[in-house]
Amino acid sequence: MMNMKQLEQKLQKADRKQSRLYLFCNFMALMIISAYAALMLSPTVQKVFPEGGDSAKQMYMIFVMTLVGCVVFTIYALGLFFRHKSGQLGVLMALGASRKRLAPGLFREVLLLSGVSAIAGTAAGFPFVWVIWHAFRLFLVDSSDMVLTFDFKCLFISLLFLLLVVGFACLTAWRYLKKTNIMEVIREEHINEPVKELGRWCGPVGFLVLLVGAVLGYGAPWACHAWFSMYPPAWVSVFYAPVFVGLYMIMLHTVVHGWKSHRKNPYKNIISRSMMKFQGKQTVNNLLVVTLLIAGGCFAVFYLPTTGISAVLHYASLPYDYFYKYQADQDVPDRAKVEALGREYGLSLKDWNECDYVTLGIGGMTIIEEEDSLRFHVEYVPMLQEAMVLSEDAYQMITGQEVDVGPGTYWCLNDQEETSLYVNNSAKEITNMTTRKVLATEFAGYLHYDHLTEEIPCCVLDNADYALISEGLTDDWRGRFAAFNVDGKDSYPFANAFFRLFVSSFDESCERICSYDRVQKIRENEEGQEYWGDTDKMTKISYDSSDSFTFRTFWVYMPSFRILNQNDFLRNMAVMFMMFLFIFIVCMITALVVCHTRCQSIALNNRYIFDDLKKLGASPAFLDKEVRSQCTNVFKMPALVGTTAMFLLFAMILYANDGRLLQTEWAAMGLCLCIIAVIGAVIYAVYRSTVKAIKGQLGIG
Amino acid sequence: MLYVKELYKSYEVGKNKYEVLKGIDLHVAQGEFVAVMGPSGSGKTTLLNCISCYIPFDKGNIKLGGTELAGMNEAELARVRNTKIGFVFQDFMLLDGLTIRENILVPRIVQGAVDKEVEKMADQLASMFGIGHILNKYPAEISGGEKQRAAVARSLINIPLIILADEPTGNLDSKSSRAVIETFINAKQKMNATIFMVTHDSFAASFCDRVILLKDGTIYRQLEKTKARSEFQDQLLDALKEMSA
Repeated sequence: MMNMKQLEQKLQKADRKQSRLYLFCNFMALMIISAYAALMLSPTVQKVFPEGGDSAKQMYMIFVMTLVGCVVFTIYALGLFFRHKSGQLGVLMALGASRKRLAPGLFREVLLLSGVSAIAGTAAGFPFVWVIWHAFRLFLVDSSDMVLTFDFKCLFISLLFLLLVVGFACLTAWRYLKKTNIMEVIREEHINEPVKELGRWCGPVGFLVLLVGAVLGYGAPWACHAWFSMYPPAWVSVFYAPVFVGLYMIMLHTVVHGWKSHRKNPYKNIISRSMMKFQGKQTVNNLLVVTLLIAGGCFAVFYLPTTGISAVLHYASLPYDYFYKYQADQDVPDRAKVEALGREYGLSLKDWNECDYVTLGIGGMTIIEEEDSLRFHVEYVPMLQEAMVLSEDAYQMITGQEVDVGPGTYWCLNDQEETSLYVNNSAKEITNMTTRKVLATEFAGYLHYDHLTEEIPCCVLDNADYALISEGLTDDWRGRFAAFNVDGKDSYPFANAFFRLFVSSFDESCERICSYDRVQKIRENEEGQEYWGDTDKMTKISYDSSDSFTFRTFWVYMPSFRILNQNDFLRNMAVMFMMFLFIFIVCMITALVVCHTRCQSIALNNRYIFDDLKKLGASPAFLDKEVRSQCTNVFKMPALVGTTAMFLLFAMILYANDGRLLQTEWAAMGLCLCIIAVIGAVIYAVYRSTVKAIKGQLGIG
Repeated sequence: MLYVKELYKSYEVGKNKYEVLKGIDLHVAQGEFVAVMGPSGSGKTTLLNCISCYIPFDKGNIKLGGTELAGMNEAELARVRNTKIGFVFQDFMLLDGLTIRENILVPRIVQGAVDKEVEKMADQLASMFGIGHILNKYPAEISGGEKQRAAVARSLINIPLIILADEPTGNLDSKSSRAVIETFINAKQKMNATIFMVTHDSFAASFCDRVILLKDGTIYRQLEKTKARSEFQDQLLDALKEMSA
């Protein structure tokens, strides 16, 4: 004899297809969020991504986008589940089951489905990351930085999302039980969800609004800085809002009108268009989410060629195979020792060059924060920062460039494109940090030499001025540049051995990062302030981890060995690159799962239309075309808009950096186009498999 | 048995308000088989949904077996739906995951009162309506007419005060329609069931004791069956023609 519980269990068993879909969607969403959070907050990634840096912001921003995507996706899956469930609920209500009678079974089912899928998804996130990360290590690149460790604080994010999923599921169940109109509950499954129809202007205007949003969003922080002398506050991001409005309008146009003109043949694709239109709300939301996810994925993956190509071309264009500097009081191998090491590796060295330099305090204009930490003003500060200073003779010796520096002036080193951020063209005096002798000076112009364009500004003085100001300097403020080429083919083992020998010859006084400014420290300590570099964990590096990303990127005396940099580039940047690759994979998986699910639900909800069409004599070819047309709309537009918008945004960012596109930037954009082609191919493959699956389910031959 | 007094119901669609029922008064006696006919939009289904408490009404009174429905809370309404009303939907509304026997038993399962006696009663109802051989089948495995007869059996399992049927033959062919109508007549004759049916079908309505014609939310006319069925059908058709004119 059957009781209510057994009846509910039997109905649940009969609904297992719907339940499976809901379980799958929840599981995927939770797995993706938990995997992303686990990797994002892992010590492995956290120690490589500088706090507050652009790449970290990029990582968090895409996480938020993915989170929004997963929230919309799970709400959608829940909606699908309840649309089907409501028929049963309605019948039971109509037959006299009270809310009180239905509630325990419904909540039990919803809690079980959402809870189990959410917990399983959260748990699966960790092996998912582990497998992908180790596949990267196995097949792409491995380094000591890439040892994966987890900080289980990330579970808080998963837990929050889990609670959101379970809470929202219960809330929806309660909402259905609260309905007083039973007929509404019964018919819920058959109720269409049309969107408010706008004119055909909607799509083109959407593109315009999107463009305006991109320009406003990108320009707003600059305007804050330039016009209002303030750091852009977080709310400035609101200027990006038109991007989302524009995207919504574009997707709305896609669903309501489509992009092909139907004037000549208004009946073409009328069935698939009407199907899309009457499930409009959810379809538009889904297309929007998929577009954002694809755009987010592109944003992450474009980082790789942009950084990679510029580095590769930069290394190839450097004048010396080996270029390094060291503090004068360090026992660094001299020419004879290096040549002897070269011989051990069968190498002959040529073009050997060396010259002295000194580190002086240099004045300059700088940004001073107001008390509110939001506004700032620009002020001249004597003894602002360290500068590496060469005499004109030394400069000529190491670079081969002739330069005539006038007395009382200085030339500042810049890269060939004059895009370096580390130049100082506003100094009025230079200070000897040992004797505190001050030399008045003024900026005379830029010299170009990539080896000397680093995080510490480099200047060239008149020979006499140099001699005058460097007099009395202790060895810890003096240094030496050395450079040479290899006669013939270079050897990575030699470069590696020399690098290790070089690092081991420095003592603790040089175990610091390039942004640790000794001049600034002295100035601030003398003013009674504590220097940030003495307290911030970020400034700590160790010779013991000379292969780490942090050491190779930030050590103040990091040498430039072309073959070492070229070979180790991927390894040094491995964590950063692999994190962005991971983000790309996660975004694409989410987007494709959403597309696949949406196509399936449109087709299955309209199964009766396909059945009717069959009865009306529609050929398999016609039905095939209708299915394709449905799926094309779901896959094509988000892919097109997402990839194109991100490509254009990237081009805009590259152009806006310095008002032009450099050769490396053109090359990076070319590579981005190749990546877009690969993305297109993957999306097309999933589209085809979705069409095949739907045709199978609808019984279209 | 059923008293409806001054019943008003309106729907709001956007800014527009549509008055669907405009003060309906009617009475259905115990054991009576009454049909409601009228053109689309006349308010037939809305009237039925209000009586069955599926949708709330704006104003008026509905009294079923001496019980006032207005002002009842949700639990009381559920009890009325379960014990005093049997409902037959146009599209059957059987639960796909349950067998026909289980579907017939659902109102008793909801009540938590299934025993051997009730199971026996379900089997008897099924036999009476000619669906005894499909009791272990699922809805997807049987015809539309069989589904609707199962739905009628379900509506009777709790021996309700009244059966409300919304276009019960609307989705059926003529043979199945006839079988379903015979099911109602069977229920009326053998169980003294009271039936209130909404229909478009003059053939189905011609089996009723009385037909209420509804037009624009008000009762246009009521016709009592005093003659043979076919003559009553002609009378109905004439009245419908007159109402349309």
